Amino acid sequence: MSQIITTVGLSKHFGSLKAVNNVNIAIKEGSINGVIGPNGSGKTTLFNLLSGYFLPTEGTIYFQGEDITHLTPQNRVVKGIGRSFQLVSIFPQLKVYENMVLSVIRFLKRYKTGSRFYLSRIDANKEILNDCMQCLGMVGLEDKAQLRSGELSYGDQRLLEIALTVALKPRLLLLDEPLAGLGDVEISFMLELLQRIKKDFTMVIVEHKITKIEDFIDELFVMSQGFVICQGKPSEVLYTPEVRKCYWGEVD
Amino acid sequence: MEIKRLANAALFKNTEIKSSPRILVELIIIAVVFILLSFFLGKPRMTDFMIFGIAVLSYDLIYGYMGHLTIGHMLYFGTGTYSATLFMKLVSPNPLLGIIAGILAGALLAAIVGSLVVRTKGATFALVNMAFNYVGFFLVAYAWADVTGGEDGMASFTGTVGPVNLQQHPLWFYFVLSCLLLSFFLLKKITASPFGVMVKAIKHNETRIKFLGYNVHYYKLVTFVIASALAAFAGTLTTINYGYIAPDYLSPLRNEELIFANLIGGAGNIYGALLGGTLYMVMKDYLSIYVARWELVLGILLVVISLKFRTGLVGFLKKHIQLRSGSGR
Ligand SMILES: Nc1ncnc2c1ncn2[C@@H]1O[C@H](COP(=O)(O)OP(=O)(O)OP(=O)(O)O)[C@@H](O)[C@H]1O
Ligand SMILES: [Mg+2]
Repeated sequence: MSQIITTVGLSKHFGSLKAVNNVNIAIKEGSINGVIGPNGSGKTTLFNLLSGYFLPTEGTIYFQGEDITHLTPQNRVVKGIGRSFQLVSIFPQLKVYENMVLSVIRFLKRYKTGSRFYLSRIDANKEILNDCMQCLGMVGLEDKAQLRSGELSYGDQRLLEIALTVALKPRLLLLDEPLAGLGDVEISFMLELLQRIKKDFTMVIVEHKITKIEDFIDELFVMSQGFVICQGKPSEVLYTPEVRKCYWGEVD
Repeated sequence: MEIKRLANAALFKNTEIKSSPRILVELIIIAVVFILLSFFLGKPRMTDFMIFGIAVLSYDLIYGYMGHLTIGHMLYFGTGTYSATLFMKLVSPNPLLGIIAGILAGALLAAIVGSLVVRTKGATFALVNMAFNYVGFFLVAYAWADVTGGEDGMASFTGTVGPVNLQQHPLWFYFVLSCLLLSFFLLKKITASPFGVMVKAIKHNETRIKFLGYNVHYYKLVTFVIASALAAFAGTLTTINYGYIAPDYLSPLRNEELIFANLIGGAGNIYGALLGGTLYMVMKDYLSIYVARWELVLGILLVVISLKFRTGLVGFLKKHIQLRSGSGR
């Protein structure tokens, strides 16, 4: 299998804080990867670097062999990197189906032409609505399509957050704590969802609740104070003494 | 398969909920209302109101829909006014060509200024726009006084379109009404489109749009140019309407009128813009007759609206009608 994304000496400093510190990772095409680590260990910052939210202080990022270190976020999406946010980031004043519109038309060539994008009515556009409803169906939100998304429960907002990204059909899907703040029922729904879609993506999932996702992860990375201190098969990594010390020792 | 079925079911529901009146019906209703009003308030006065209404609509796109407060919108209104006037004076007296020239000038200036300001938001956006507006005001009122008539302004000359004198009443009233309906139609179209979703999404979460693969600055610029061109359109009508122009039409101080009108009617709603624009003008015209310091009344009204009716009159009415009919959501 070839590598889809690789980082070389990737670092991000905030003043004297080294949030991400000389990280060298390689993610295999088609694999499902987990990232764990205590609070503040740099997991989200790593995602922010990979997705272009921040430029790194040092280091290089290659996506499918190409140097993307200085690409803007939107151009990385075009290349095929999609991410979700740890703190739900949706459009709360828009209806649920309206939230989906920008995602579903992003890679439809038809909507590149002016009149369709600028003048067609979405609430009468079967094509767009159908695509929106299909994506909402995937996460079980089709019944709530007409609600304002800000009125959804937290769990539903998180599902919508993920649907926004998944609808872009990225090659590499970065999910930042998809289970955070969910109740038990919602967690099992989300896990079932991830299980269902995982064959279509290369995934990197940041998740504290490692025992929940351990089963379907191929490769696990452990971060601590900006470093990736350990990586490998979950079953092996989780029993490494230093991981147990830093991870289980500090969290939960 | 199951999803397909559910999607269709929901689509069905969707069309049921969304049976909003056809756009043609809305245009007719608006036309009838303005014509009826003109019998009470007089056609010249209603013409003033409608021109202001177009400016309010244009402001609503940036402020109400895109959520970007600007204090520099009069720059484009005034650019339309001055460009149309100078065009009719120096190139061709045909008012239709003058209008087009004014719109193009406003759009061009907006494209240039916009490419700088769309990188900002919040207070910076508002203030940088105001700064540009003051530059424009200074140029027109002082630096280019030879051409613009400076602080005194200048008379504008409107020719005929073939044999037709556009300025003649009641033709002028109906012409401006058509301009208003056209502007309404345009805004209605674009705010209901995927682009409309983009504009509303920018209001709430610019960052997320970048991570959906869009160049947000580009769409902010497009919105800015459309809104500015529409303001310039209103500006061109002003010069034909009054036959005299002054730097006041380009003054950043007048921007507050647009904000007030938007707040009264309800920002982010094209009906609100029309209602707010009309109400504001009615108050300005009539309140000032009875109350010496009518601005005080306006000020108090605004405090009440911003504290009690955040969604403006249209939002308030909508909520109550929905509660009544029991479909409140
Ligand atoms: N924009 C920023 N400016 C300054 N410091 C930041 C910024 N973003 C993150 N940090 C700091 O970088 C460190 C790593 O933060 P990060 O959010 O990457 O941690 P995390 O592993 O995602 O933690 P959590 O499990 O709580 O989500 C933290 O100390 C954080 O305070
Ligand atoms: Mg985090």
